[in-house]
Amino acid sequence: MSTGTYDDGRGPGHGLLRRRSLLGGAAAAAAGFTLAGCGSGDGDDGAAPEERKKGQKITLSFWSWVPGIDKPVDLWNSEHPDVQVDVETVSAVDGRQYAKMHAAVKAGNPPDLAQIEFPVVPSFLLDNALMDLSALGAARYKDRFVGWQWQQSVFGKGVYAVPQASGPMGLFLRQDLFDKWSIQFPQTWDEYEEAAKAVRRQGAWIETFSPTNGNRFAGLAWQAGAKWYAAQGDTWTVHIDDEPTRKVADYWESLVRRKLVKTIPDRQNAWYKDIQTGAIPAWIGASWGDALLAGNAPGTKGKWRAAPLPQWQKGANAHANWGGSTTAVFAKASYPKDALDFALWLNSDPKSIALLIDGGYGFPSAKKGYATSDLDVYKDFFGGQAYSRVFADAGAHVDTSWQWGPGVDTLYQRLGDAFTEALDSGGSFRSVLRTVQAQTVSDLRGKGLKVESGG
Amino acid sequence: MPFLTLFLLCFVAPIGYAVHQSLHRTERTGPLGLGGQEREVFAGLANYAHALADDRFLTGFGRVLLFGVVQIPLMIALATVLALLLESASARGVTFFRSAFFLPYGVPGVIASILWGFLYVPGISPLVEIAGSLGLHVDFLARDTVLWSIANIVVWQFTGYNMLVLISQLKAVPDELYEAARIDGANAWHIARHIKIPLIRPALVLTTVFSIIGTLQLFAEPMVLRPLAATIDSGFTPNLHAYSEAFVSNNQHVAAAEAVLLAVVACVLSFGFLRLVGQRGNGSDW
Repeated sequence: MSTGTYDDGRGPGHGLLRRRSLLGGAAAAAAGFTLAGCGSGDGDDGAAPEERKKGQKITLSFWSWVPGIDKPVDLWNSEHPDVQVDVETVSAVDGRQYAKMHAAVKAGNPPDLAQIEFPVVPSFLLDNALMDLSALGAARYKDRFVGWQWQQSVFGKGVYAVPQASGPMGLFLRQDLFDKWSIQFPQTWDEYEEAAKAVRRQGAWIETFSPTNGNRFAGLAWQAGAKWYAAQGDTWTVHIDDEPTRKVADYWESLVRRKLVKTIPDRQNAWYKDIQTGAIPAWIGASWGDALLAGNAPGTKGKWRAAPLPQWQKGANAHANWGGSTTAVFAKASYPKDALDFALWLNSDPKSIALLIDGGYGFPSAKKGYATSDLDVYKDFFGGQAYSRVFADAGAHVDTSWQWGPGVDTLYQRLGDAFTEALDSGGSFRSVLRTVQAQTVSDLRGKGLKVESGG
Repeated sequence: MPFLTLFLLCFVAPIGYAVHQSLHRTERTGPLGLGGQEREVFAGLANYAHALADDRFLTGFGRVLLFGVVQIPLMIALATVLALLLESASARGVTFFRSAFFLPYGVPGVIASILWGFLYVPGISPLVEIAGSLGLHVDFLARDTVLWSIANIVVWQFTGYNMLVLISQLKAVPDELYEAARIDGANAWHIARHIKIPLIRPALVLTTVFSIIGTLQLFAEPMVLRPLAATIDSGFTPNLHAYSEAFVSNNQHVAAAEAVLLAVVACVLSFGFLRLVGQRGNGSDW
């Protein structure tokens, strides 16, 4: 009995493995750097996935948490009676959607398609969970999307997902309160610190440093010029404890120690309450934050403005990205060609983009099919400001050489745990970086990767 | 035979699978490890060594043990007092109170944690607000208090359940015993102390063992409160740690080793407790 169970757990991967090794080996020999022999020969256990026969009706499963995603999917379904897409909404709180996806991959029954953020694409690749779309000719569609966002899911010659949206970062502020307190919108981090002091004198807190929000911390390090991962040959180098990240860590530690910022988790009930009452009049967020603010603090309508991220050097124009999403096709998808067609349509068809914008999904990865002004969905909430221009400009100045590596979800958790501990025990934020750097190197080695620790 | 099949399928197989997983690891080859070949190889006790070398995992154990040492006696004592009061001769509204105390057990742990979460979060909690208006600064989610805020949820949930187990044993005591005691001049306190409590000893042992196991499995409460409190880390309890290993870091093999370790500790503590009370008592109960 028990032997049977072992096979159940390993069986699907097992059969796949042998074929994949062969294909992978051949491809690697040919290309030097190639990922998995997925593509057309892969998918279902025994037989290669057939192409859909003309007139055959199929249903694709799709997991997503994007607000309003059902609208473009409904449109697709009405236009494509043969290829129906069934959306399942998954929770995006605390990365629970990925827990579910990892479990489904492990169990051998993942959906055909899913929403996966840029930073976690490599984690899924590590488990051979995603299909190499280049075998289906995906590279031909590259020009439909913003170059660096397309590159987020390209590893070697493989294309592993279709980009959907990015999240250029910016600073949301309460214009009315800053005016009332005669505080200027900060343009540099020095000015931000002065603003924090001034806000504190009014009895409020400019912001919170949410210790568990590794996503945002990564964005701030990115802006400062950090590069946490690098890949060379067959080796990853991890650089979390580098000079730019230390600068960011020192800066926030100093604000935290002088009690100029709160340390509650952001985007939670207590934080929303503070946002609504003006106890916190600013938020370093991303373009998709408009929907969050408008949805959770309706009473502050008309009082918010968006401004560029404060700069380390006056007059500089350095920006970063928080989040960003793709639509990925899983390696086990039964009809990969149709799945790719859907992913391309969803993220580049003007009608679909219009519906996604209505839902408030972030900054489109597609080059065409929208104008920046289309994105000002919550214009009234921002007092009529054309706030998307701020994010468009930020998006145009993101340092696109930043690269994500495998295990980013673990890295975020490590950062959260270490910051939590530092806040509690008074440990320095620099020691957080040292700890997480060492942990990440060992985590990746534990996964069987070649890793070096960079300075 | 049907029993044996079920036993093998539902009990032996999952445990066997967990043990098997815990003794293997994934080996990856290929450029950058991404999408290369992947195979499971025998790892010996490496996963166990990895788990035991993890400070956070061990701290989690320390935390739940501390939790259990405080919370279990408190809860069992409270359940006993409630059971004795409800089963005393002068009790009124017994049915109502019995159901009322039992009711929280019917609320799933996740929902209970969300409910209490609203009462804990500053800025929203009426409790914090009332305390604040009285000049008291309370923070239910601070580093020193959050464990006991979780204990409060667990006590709230399970006291009524344990009380009911104790009551059912009390009901099994023949009335003649009480009558005889009363004739001998025993008052209500004497009866409770010398007759009722010794007679419900098996139920007390049972509820304590359940609580020990439950404490080690502590998961839903910290999991739900985690996003609200920057004081609960990913290894707050061993169960949470195993969950993070399995589903955040995708290290099923290490998670399996941690689960096996957790089961071993639960076994040792439960049987240790049974032995302890078995030696101390007259040996006839258990």
